Amino acid sequence: MLGYRVVKRQEPLEWGSFFIFLLALAFSLSVSGLLLAIQGKPFAEGILILWRGGFGSFVALEDTLLKSIPIFLCSLGVAVAFRMQVWNIGAEGQFALGAVGATWAVMTFGGLPGWLLMPVMFLCAALAGAAWGLIPAVLRLRFGLNEIISTLMFNYIGILLLQYLVFGSWKDPTSFGFPMTPIFPDGAIIGRLFGRIHWGLVVCVGVAVLLGVFLRRTRLGFELLAGGENPRAARYARMPYDFLVLLVMGLCGALAGWAGCIETSATLNRLQPSIMVGYGYTAIVVAWLSRLRISSIAFFAFLLAGLRVGVENLQLDLQVPAAFGGIIEGLILLSVLAGQFFDSYALRRRGGDA
Amino acid sequence: MTIEMVIPVLAAAVQCGTPILYATLGEMLTERAGVLNLGVEGMMIIGTFTAFLALHLTGDPWIAVVVAALCGGALGLVHGIVCLVFQGNQVVSGLALTIFGVGLADYLGTPFVGTVTTGFTPFSLPVLGDIPVLGEVFFRHDALVNLSYVLPPLFWLFLARTRWGLALRATGEHPAAAAAAGINPVLVRWAALFAGGALVGIGGAYLSLAYTHLWTNNMTAGRGWIAVALVIFAFWRPGRAVLGAYLFGGVMAFQLRLQAMGASVPSSLLLMLPYALTIGVLLFSSARGKGRGAPAALGVNIEPKD
Amino acid sequence: MRRIIVLLAAMLVLSGLAGCGDDKKPAQEAPKQEAPKQEAKAEQPAAKAGEDKKLQIGLVYISPVGDAGWSYSHDQGRKALEEAGGVTTSYVESVPEGPDSERVILNMARKGYDIIFTTSFGYMDPTIKVASQYPDITFLHCSGYKTAPNVSNYFGRMYQARYLTGMVAGAMTKNNILGYVGAFPIPEVIRGINAFTLGARAVNPNAQVRVVWTKTWYDPATEKEAAKSLLDVGADVIAQHQDSPGPQEAAQERGVYSVGYHTDMSAFAPKAHLTSAVWNWKDFYLDVVKQVRAGTWKSGSYWPGIESGVVDIAPYGEMVPQDVRARVDAAKADIKSGKLKVFTGPVKDQKGAVRVAEGAVPTDQDLLGMTWFVEGVIGTTE
Repeated sequence: MLGYRVVKRQEPLEWGSFFIFLLALAFSLSVSGLLLAIQGKPFAEGILILWRGGFGSFVALEDTLLKSIPIFLCSLGVAVAFRMQVWNIGAEGQFALGAVGATWAVMTFGGLPGWLLMPVMFLCAALAGAAWGLIPAVLRLRFGLNEIISTLMFNYIGILLLQYLVFGSWKDPTSFGFPMTPIFPDGAIIGRLFGRIHWGLVVCVGVAVLLGVFLRRTRLGFELLAGGENPRAARYARMPYDFLVLLVMGLCGALAGWAGCIETSATLNRLQPSIMVGYGYTAIVVAWLSRLRISSIAFFAFLLAGLRVGVENLQLDLQVPAAFGGIIEGLILLSVLAGQFFDSYALRRRGGDA
Repeated sequence: MTIEMVIPVLAAAVQCGTPILYATLGEMLTERAGVLNLGVEGMMIIGTFTAFLALHLTGDPWIAVVVAALCGGALGLVHGIVCLVFQGNQVVSGLALTIFGVGLADYLGTPFVGTVTTGFTPFSLPVLGDIPVLGEVFFRHDALVNLSYVLPPLFWLFLARTRWGLALRATGEHPAAAAAAGINPVLVRWAALFAGGALVGIGGAYLSLAYTHLWTNNMTAGRGWIAVALVIFAFWRPGRAVLGAYLFGGVMAFQLRLQAMGASVPSSLLLMLPYALTIGVLLFSSARGKGRGAPAALGVNIEPKD
Repeated sequence: MRRIIVLLAAMLVLSGLAGCGDDKKPAQEAPKQEAPKQEAKAEQPAAKAGEDKKLQIGLVYISPVGDAGWSYSHDQGRKALEEAGGVTTSYVESVPEGPDSERVILNMARKGYDIIFTTSFGYMDPTIKVASQYPDITFLHCSGYKTAPNVSNYFGRMYQARYLTGMVAGAMTKNNILGYVGAFPIPEVIRGINAFTLGARAVNPNAQVRVVWTKTWYDPATEKEAAKSLLDVGADVIAQHQDSPGPQEAAQERGVYSVGYHTDMSAFAPKAHLTSAVWNWKDFYLDVVKQVRAGTWKSGSYWPGIESGVVDIAPYGEMVPQDVRARVDAAKADIKSGKLKVFTGPVKDQKGAVRVAEGAVPTDQDLLGMTWFVEGVIGTTE
């Protein structure tokens, strides 16, 4: 059709992927700008505000960096899972469970000194998040239950569980009945590193390094990377496919759980339902955009965090509804998906040689 | 629970289940052709909003239904562009579509929150509505519910007895063989995406045209995802979809009525019921036969040929 | 090649630093551990520049403005400010509570707004945090309980209006079952339910109130279904503590009565709507601006009642008979004058225990922390 035919490439294109992303970004911003115009808002100014709001000043960059911390952690986990073709969309629920786990640790061991309490919190958050990821994994392995649905349902259940605890036994007695836990003791609050950035950043860097080493340098990690390419072949080769699935889901849950722990501790200093803002879903976008590579995850997590922060400025300056961010995110992902076509296929003129 | 409560709960189950039924049938149509479209939640809420807007602008609920169907179908086509043309990963594309669709509906719809309209209202069908128990449960609802009753049998007829239905099923099971038999599988998938999306859009429209006459952000509240799950529960067959949809509607309606009757179970736990139930029914279906009935080519893109 | 592109992109992003930023005062953003406590009188640049300076006012809303409910009523207040002139106003709607809200409030503060209203409970901690960094800005937080030298909290004694609407409902019910669709079991909602019940039972001692929690502030479908479930157990008046008119619709469809909330909801259910418990922030907001301009604004906890006009009941529907109207109007006058206090004892809880002794009146603290239901309410506070 159209005088071209489609030919599958021998080798997938590598360097073009970032170029494709830029094109996709430009496309999404254009469409979004059009949408702005539909509501009577100035197109170019809107995009400018978006950019400056996320990246245009030192303060904005701080905001963006802060926001990218939980997104980064969730995306790491999701990316590892996706590599194995395990479609974990439960990062949101695992995030919630991590927050719950960390809060439980605080409420049970609150008297411990900071250097002891903090690791306990992280441990509990990881365990809780991992458990929340493992259950759907088990259901998939034992009963063939589609993990897309199960992780999604567990999102809703996880959030309701958080609500149940915060409205019930964990409620702060001095909060006049409002759903929030008591303020965390100082030992449970993650401290500041510089400016407004807290130690969560260090956790991110550490996790990234460790994960990178694990995936590239250990046999298990290698199997993980390879197992996703072809699960059936992996099974025949007697690689422990089931174990890998469990590992991956547990890992994803733990990472998302840490994101939840960090947000609860550093940002809110207590547990409230309002901690859920959809990082788990943004993580999916980031994971895919980065083609599941750790270095790219950092970049895209930062970018999408900046997008969210920028959208808030749009809200303030132009009264744009908050949902605008979702439009851009969705569009970027859709256009990147479309653009990735050109990594695997090339267009050749019809009638000529292949 | 007294006998007097059972009938209203069943009636409510039908009403609550109707949007889910439309969405489930729509997604089922698409999946039978081999395309996994996880964008149901996005398509549904776009249907909800566009129907509301169309009703607001024209005052005619049936036009609103058509508009919602067209918009839902259009979003389905977007999924088609990404997956059928550009060979995009079907799972991720669907998720992206949901994120986009929900965002778009919220964005366009924010100025319209709080607008008043009248849409479909319940009425009693002439003879059927007077039947003692069944009448109240099934035949005293609004036009869209009544329309939804004819859909499952039509669906079955289409799939089992028509040439196009056969083409659809063949595409979903083995596109290469279908192509060899003279069917164009890509075209079939396009059609299925559009038609499926249209049905999902109508399901969404139900929420703002009949179930309530209001619009707000996030109005679908996860119903689209439940529809995706129900397709699996229904083993990709319309009959069980009806069962599943009404079961869900029933659970949603039931937990509220439990509260009204004075039960002392914390409501957060009651609210978990629909989602826990989804997992429960899926486990039950899986136990009966792992992935039985899934179209063989589901989720697999058709590679472009010269 | 790829790495070069990535590097270029990274530099692009960092170059944003050099870009035209609104704010080049990183020092101001450094967290102040000990915020210097300013005097209660906010220093007003307006006073120095003369009365002509336009005050910049920002409002943060939890839900869309058009919701005909909570945010809508606050926005009506904002519009009144705009009409009165001398100010520029701006708002951000649908701001989720939590870290995002802190950023929104911070943004407004950085842009140099003079007065910032944060209109949801969950904005409390972020408001206090930002306020400590910007002592020159006046903050008002709605429905919370914390204050600071430049932060007031404010709310309205909605329970008084609820009591009155309860009286109307109690008088109009035929089978003595009133349904209440509630969002979350937090004190303000519980207090409203209790006041409603007390009012209903004042005119109709046999009335009972059944409560269903929707666990959402704004979801018309769920709210309507909740109302229906109450109608199914026999309620013939539906009241709500929700932001959407969903329950009103349900009542109208079944041909029974309803009581609205936030605003006059009669447009949504003309045949069913008896009255509403409404907010009216106009005068309160105008007052605040006046005080800030004059330099007389003081931090505090403000909880005005019916006498101030912040809470009221909507005009009666046609179906409310004269004698009921007269009785309720009389009660309203009594509350206004202070003669009638809604929670005057004896008040028993659901189990029959006496919570407020005969003749006693609970303190504001007790009211603010109310987590139990009065006798006559059927439902749980979980």
